[in-house]
Amino acid sequence: MQCEEVRSQFADYVIDQMQEPVRSLVSEHLTSCQTCRADAEELKSLWKRLGSIPAAEPSPELESRFHIMLEAYKHGLNHAPAKNWWSRVNAWMSRWWPTQPVLQFGFSLGLLILGVVIGRQVYSSSTIPSIVPPNTEVAELRSELTQTRQMVALSLMQQQSASDRLRGVNWSYQLQQPGGEVLTALLDTLMHDSNVNVRLATVDALRQFGDRPVVRRGVIEAMTRQESPMVQIALIDLAVDLHEKESIPTLRQLTQDRKINETVRERAQKRLAELE
Amino acid sequence: MVETDENLMLAVRAGDVSQLGPLFDRHHRVLFDFFARMTGSRAIAEDLVQDVFFRILKYRATFREDSRFKAWMFHIARNARVDYYRKHHPEAVLPEDDTAGFQSSMPAPGRALEHEEQITLLECAMFKLPAEKREVLVLSRYQEMKYEQIAEVMGCEVGTVKVRVHRALNELREIFLKLSSEKQPCNVKKSGASLRIM
Repeated sequence: MQCEEVRSQFADYVIDQMQEPVRSLVSEHLTSCQTCRADAEELKSLWKRLGSIPAAEPSPELESRFHIMLEAYKHGLNHAPAKNWWSRVNAWMSRWWPTQPVLQFGFSLGLLILGVVIGRQVYSSSTIPSIVPPNTEVAELRSELTQTRQMVALSLMQQQSASDRLRGVNWSYQLQQPGGEVLTALLDTLMHDSNVNVRLATVDALRQFGDRPVVRRGVIEAMTRQESPMVQIALIDLAVDLHEKESIPTLRQLTQDRKINETVRERAQKRLAELE
Repeated sequence: MVETDENLMLAVRAGDVSQLGPLFDRHHRVLFDFFARMTGSRAIAEDLVQDVFFRILKYRATFREDSRFKAWMFHIARNARVDYYRKHHPEAVLPEDDTAGFQSSMPAPGRALEHEEQITLLECAMFKLPAEKREVLVLSRYQEMKYEQIAEVMGCEVGTVKVRVHRALNELREIFLKLSSEKQPCNVKKSGASLRIM
């Protein structure tokens, strides 16, 4: 074997993926050629040292996140309307649908030709359907997805860690029509969460559901209960942006309460004028 | 009797999704290791592991009787990683301190300083390799996959894998030697976070 030929086999030799008789030929060459031997040893040492880069261990949260996701998925499956035939057809099709691109192409071409032939036959009798049936499967899938998202949001909002609760609050953005449970959980978080950042994020999240009466009432109620000026200001802004006239008495009360932070009082005064 | 991965996955496919639990227990560490070595970030690696298991549920119907679970899972993992980088610009993914406590920056008492430096340089050299070359080395060295298995995961010919490993290993050596002679701080971007060598 020539040096060049041997060198092209070095990677296989080093990582031990070489078969006989090539292995013996390479070994034989290495005993006689010092340059190649030095080169092979260098690569071998590099490969060995790669093994010394330590592996990283995942944090325990990864496992709990997985179980939350799995439970949410199971919940979504159990609460989905009776198992649709669509997924059964899909599973059945995926079992016999060919994997090789050539076969797939041939099969698709066959189907296309069959479609053209049938189309011509049908066209000759000229019956064109005028109404497309509603796609109920898509609606079912959407509902399943929404339920899963709600479950994830609710589970996260119950967590010990503030960052998890923040993620839970942010999940609610993905829900266009959240159920009462999610709104209750958001309002509960707004009232009782110990972390200011979580409460602030909740005020922002509630903004998108501002048309719900329960949210409007919750926002007004929270205004006087909050102790953090930042949260109070966010709530005042939200109530005024939503043009909530019911909040006028509460805003007045805030402007007159001397115990309340001065910036909050000024903000309430200023925004109150916009509502009146 | 211990169920094979394939039987567990067939049960998941048939609707018994709780069988994904044992599959997670068996494989989440190797997947995390793969992603951590590819991205250099714990946080991204954990997100991607979660994403892979979600995709396994979502696409469970595409698992076939003749599929090998590990190859199928890594196939999904590669797609998940590519999709992640399509969505997130790697320069703006994570704050700088994300690599704190990650891999070689962990103190290793008892290890000779020089050896420690060499390993850190080598890790840096790995991150300077293009992703597709780093990937074959990670699968081969840390997942201990044969060429045939890597080809199955990547959906290509065994010969292609062989050539790519050969080139990757040589390029790694070049980069490593260059870094060793320069003794410069390693400024390679690991998913938006800088890896620095002291």
